[in-house]
Amino acid sequence: MFKSIRDWIEIRIGLDELVRTQLKEYRVPGNINIFYTLGFIALAAYIIQAVTGFFLLVYYIPSSDHAFMSVQNIMNRVPFGWLFRLMHVVGSNLMVAVVFLHMLSVFFMGSYKKPRELTWVAGGLMMLVTLAFCLSGYLLPWSQLSYWATTIVANLPTAFPVIGDFIAKLLRGGEQVSGITLNRFFAIHIAFLPPILVSIVGIHIFLVRRTGISSPPFGVPDKENNNLTEFRHESHPDGLPFYPYFVHREISMVMIYLALLFFIVTFMPTLFLPEDANTPADPFKTPAHIKPEWYFLAPYQMLKLIPNKFLGISLQVILVAAFLSWPFFDTKKERNLMKRPLLLSVFLISVAIYVLLTLWGLYS
Amino acid sequence: MDRRTFLNTLLSFLGATALFSFGYPLLRFLAPPGSGAETHKLTVNKSDILPGESKSILVGSIPAIIINRADKGFIALSKVCTHLGCLVEYDKDKKRLQCPCHAGLFDLEGNVISGPPPKSLRKFPVKVEGDAVIIG
Amino acid sequence: MRYFFPLLIVLTFSSVAMAMGGYRDNSGKEFQSQPLSEQNKPEESVCISCHISEIMKPEFRNIPQEWKSSWHSQNDVSCHDCHGGDSRDASMAMSPQRGFVGIPGYDEVPDFCGKCHIGILKHYLESGHGKALKTSGSGPNCVVCHSAHDIQKASIDIINEQRCTQCHSYERARIIKQALFITENKINSIDRDLKELKARGVFTEEEDKNFFNIHAEFRSIFHSVDVSLIKEKTDDYTKRLDLIEGRLKNIFNELEFRRNFSAFLMLVFAGMGIILFLLIKSKSG
Repeated sequence: MFKSIRDWIEIRIGLDELVRTQLKEYRVPGNINIFYTLGFIALAAYIIQAVTGFFLLVYYIPSSDHAFMSVQNIMNRVPFGWLFRLMHVVGSNLMVAVVFLHMLSVFFMGSYKKPRELTWVAGGLMMLVTLAFCLSGYLLPWSQLSYWATTIVANLPTAFPVIGDFIAKLLRGGEQVSGITLNRFFAIHIAFLPPILVSIVGIHIFLVRRTGISSPPFGVPDKENNNLTEFRHESHPDGLPFYPYFVHREISMVMIYLALLFFIVTFMPTLFLPEDANTPADPFKTPAHIKPEWYFLAPYQMLKLIPNKFLGISLQVILVAAFLSWPFFDTKKERNLMKRPLLLSVFLISVAIYVLLTLWGLYS
Repeated sequence: MDRRTFLNTLLSFLGATALFSFGYPLLRFLAPPGSGAETHKLTVNKSDILPGESKSILVGSIPAIIINRADKGFIALSKVCTHLGCLVEYDKDKKRLQCPCHAGLFDLEGNVISGPPPKSLRKFPVKVEGDAVIIG
Repeated sequence: MRYFFPLLIVLTFSSVAMAMGGYRDNSGKEFQSQPLSEQNKPEESVCISCHISEIMKPEFRNIPQEWKSSWHSQNDVSCHDCHGGDSRDASMAMSPQRGFVGIPGYDEVPDFCGKCHIGILKHYLESGHGKALKTSGSGPNCVVCHSAHDIQKASIDIINEQRCTQCHSYERARIIKQALFITENKINSIDRDLKELKARGVFTEEEDKNFFNIHAEFRSIFHSVDVSLIKEKTDDYTKRLDLIEGRLKNIFNELEFRRNFSAFLMLVFAGMGIILFLLIKSKSG
């Protein structure tokens, strides 16, 4: 029966040729490593977020009067509502972690270099969109944690002179975080950001396929990419077939990701939901020890440390700009980071500082 | 059966289990809530409550009070004080509701007059039809 | 050459920032120099600053410290809430125009505390303790059992030999304590359960309110010091508390189910991951 369906489709779109050229004859480098699956895991993580988010949307009420109780309703009264809500909360944090790891491993293997600069830029933009998703989504449960963490982060733009207050007011929809902010963030979270992310994902994947997958720079001598004067798709005729070799790896890693997600849901369901997350928002009562979620702790702590507000925020903007345009700064041919001690040290020290700032922000 | 086939079968089995483990919760999640989740209508005789008097009732599981206000007619309010949950008492002479725990005071609309309660008493919809007063 | 423009931008920003460093704006140079909760804290009563200072009589100087460790303090009930006066303006802090009543006399204490604790006052005035105070002026007032400023959460341990034998034999106090015992235990157990549910992420507002109502009624009834009334009410409280316990048990069971269900899903996915990994190995092997 399956055969007759396949034949029917084959006549209409030539499925066999697509499967043959795009999946079986498409080859990945022989020395490909497991870190190359991180991109696909990030995509799978996003799809999980989108699907669970859609189901939450069936019961969530985006009004400051009802938001908190609608979330409690989902957690306690709707059958298996707790499952989708916890998947969404834990999934959002895991997705950020996966995106970070993907970015770090691409950097480590120098896969941002010519001709892949655009892929890196698209990826960097997606990182920022992911963080925007996190910021906007965090407010939606309208708990004490949501309200006050958002108040802190929405105050950050005030560090800019002249336009800072205006930007902050635009973000909040007023002088303080309020129901107006909730509506704005809700619209951003479910309608504005998803098409943007999906478009950039499309561009990113197109670029990856069009240029060809990079080889890990360890051991195998690198092809001459820096002297390119015309387009050349990088193929790996001696490599391994994408399907089934790499596809199986990608899927098995997604299973591990899901196992990790459910490990947290089983044994640490309140890891990302402290007591303040279960208390309705009270604009007149600030909880002690309020701080942003872990992925914002490093920038937050950095701003607290730098004595000058404007310098602090400019530094952040400059760092983000530098990070996005890194392939245009670093144009050396050598992709193997182990052979570039200076860049390797800068890389390791930056990661160490980031982790340090995060921990400092957590325990201060 | 060789190893590959065994593993493949096991994989399909687990895959089907996973699918069903999401499918069933999803169906329960999306199913419309059962009836009786919403309406708890209660009917009281108008003639039982003279003007200025009140009657304690239960709306669903919530202790409530229905007051026949001389000037504004019937009102049904939850007796659960919005501070910490004690049940408020009707003071006929002072035309207000008082909480015996920390002296929270409410007017006969349910609004807070003074004391620690953070918000008004919950109001239930009231309809008067002839001699029947329908709450909920 | 490639680095020229970025370097120029960095230098521009830095110099502007340093220039602005000399200019103090009213929100301060530093970002979040104080924790947010410090900025938004309700102001401390002005009474405190005088009452802990050196100019204050020694017997008054300890009061702010005693109050700070009290249950009132934890619930933001401060000096003016009982004594009146203006909590924000030091010049009017002890003004009768702002309702300042000073220290209540021994037999004025029940009405003083009863301004808020209305239900308890009612039972107290009907009790042997209250009647003794009103008629002969020699009966226990609130402070005798609960202290004036270092007031802690009530428990049956306030009823003890040392306290009650100040006026009479301990026998009748012991009888009442026994009558209160069962309900007290149930209340403590439910209190612990509610705390645990909160720690595990469950929102328990409705049960909290229901529980508080019964708890407050129970504490209030004691002040009538009427053993037969307490025994009569104990059945009612036990029934209602059992209902709460039943519902809480259901919630615990639900939490167990959730844990088991998500553990099952975790194992299914881990299993699939491992099988795929083995399949890959067997293919390449």
